[in-house]
Amino acid sequence: MWLLTDSIYIGLIQAAPLILATMGFTLIYYLNGFINVTYAENITFGAYFASVFQTFLGFGFFVSIVPAVLLAGLFSVLTFVCVFRPAMARGVGPTEMIILSVGLSFFFRYGATLVFGNNPYFLENANPQYWTVLGKGITDTQVAALTLVAVVTIGLLFFIYRTRWGEMMRALANNRDLAEASGIDPARVSMLIWFIAGAAGGLAGIFFGVFALVTPLMGWNMILIIIMLSIVGGIGSVRGALIASVAAGILTAAITLVSQPLYAEIILLLVFIGVLRLRWKRA
Amino acid sequence: MAYLYFSLALVAVYIGITLLLHLQFGRVGIVNFGVVGFWGLGMYAHGVFMVTLGLPWLVALLLATLLVGLFALALGALVLRLDGQSVLVATLAFATIVLHLVTTEKWLTGGVVGFGTIEYPFDFGAATEPAYLALILAFVAVVLVYALRLDSSAYGRLLSAIRDNEPLAHGLGKPTFRHKLIFFAVTSAGMGLFGGLSASLNQFLTPNMIAPGVTFTAWIALVLGGKDHPWGAIIGVCATVGLFDVFIETFAPIPADYALLVPNIKLMLYGAFLVVIMLYRPSGVLGGYGRRG
Repeated sequence: MWLLTDSIYIGLIQAAPLILATMGFTLIYYLNGFINVTYAENITFGAYFASVFQTFLGFGFFVSIVPAVLLAGLFSVLTFVCVFRPAMARGVGPTEMIILSVGLSFFFRYGATLVFGNNPYFLENANPQYWTVLGKGITDTQVAALTLVAVVTIGLLFFIYRTRWGEMMRALANNRDLAEASGIDPARVSMLIWFIAGAAGGLAGIFFGVFALVTPLMGWNMILIIIMLSIVGGIGSVRGALIASVAAGILTAAITLVSQPLYAEIILLLVFIGVLRLRWKRA
Repeated sequence: MAYLYFSLALVAVYIGITLLLHLQFGRVGIVNFGVVGFWGLGMYAHGVFMVTLGLPWLVALLLATLLVGLFALALGALVLRLDGQSVLVATLAFATIVLHLVTTEKWLTGGVVGFGTIEYPFDFGAATEPAYLALILAFVAVVLVYALRLDSSAYGRLLSAIRDNEPLAHGLGKPTFRHKLIFFAVTSAGMGLFGGLSASLNQFLTPNMIAPGVTFTAWIALVLGGKDHPWGAIIGVCATVGLFDVFIETFAPIPADYALLVPNIKLMLYGAFLVVIMLYRPSGVLGGYGRRG
């Protein structure tokens, strides 16, 4: 019984950044139809931006989140405008787009390594508060992470299904030609989506960083799981991303409690390969 | 001098796996992002068969190749029917699983501490390293001749048909999935073979050798040289591994303080190359396949 409650408790907290990252990733995948591996660097850079604001400018943890998230969103828009949009205009196919995005990802990752070095940076909440909820200890950073996840999820669901911009996004994703003929400007919608996705990724990176360390490889180590979660959850589905990430977080926590984290990832990947196969059968 | 032979053997191994990747991606359109998984599995399997089980070198190599082929067959049966993006993600997941298992199964692979020592199959004194290089080159030559001859064979045309329009080839009565699966298993086993050959070359194996960088290097080499030509793989590897890992490491006078930066600069430039090629010349230096006489 303790295993169940502990897994749910640890899993939910650890899944918080994963949920944010998967939601952002799935939006880009849905809108533009390709797997954007450079999203890994979006996560990494979010953490580095926050770390730089904290270390060099002396911002508090919660204050440094705001500019770091905005910069991460801007970074995402820049990769879209400078690389991915020209590539799409040249008719690069979805598989080739992945190869291209892997290249861009390596460029930024090792560029960041040259600038920041291989040593980890630290992101920390200088004055942590501890609370006890239902007999479990929880810090204010963890509460903030969970609150932000709830806010972002509700915000995204509202944005996608209740606003005009969300409607334009869905129109573009489903039938680009028809959407453009109806007077929707694909550039503005895409830039907005890439900004939102990048900001969510940056926020995810900040929480990955504060729960562990900020390293150049942090995003790359997560991206495969994020890609798989967004496929399993249904491409473009915010709700699916939420459910798949929470399930993965709880499963990871449970396996980590009884054995070691690498086994958790191995089992997750095996499950994903199986799910990929089953989804094909249904189609 | 021994180090130069090691570097040249490394180039030869990369040419081997990049040629096999050309066969998979350029000829049939299979997006294998798990190259290092097959290569690394072959390398570790060869090491374990030789050192732990004490099998002779050649037997260990053949068994390792067979083992990788069986794993490729199982993975291929699961995912080769899916679209390119799914195959890419699944093969990448396979390589990640291999890397994690090598790290966790310390009783078998030594984990992060490492595993060794895997001896050369022969000892000719000072001539051992050149002889081993020649052995690897012989295997590379076999793959190259096969890749070149494939162009003008009926089987090669069938593979092209599968790549360009699989439903059509299937509609003409060709068992496309079976051909694709067997071709994938055999070429992946080939990657395992080159992994087995690399085991004696490295002598001591650690998990960081089977990081995704190997897959990425093979891909950048293939895309740079031109995925549709066997020679593209060779040109690509010489321009990437040959330039950075042999020429610069051996001959360029880099101060010790900066030497640690070279691998990072190398991977950063690989990334930039890849972006520029995919944008402006997606078929690589040698260009697309056309009618070849």
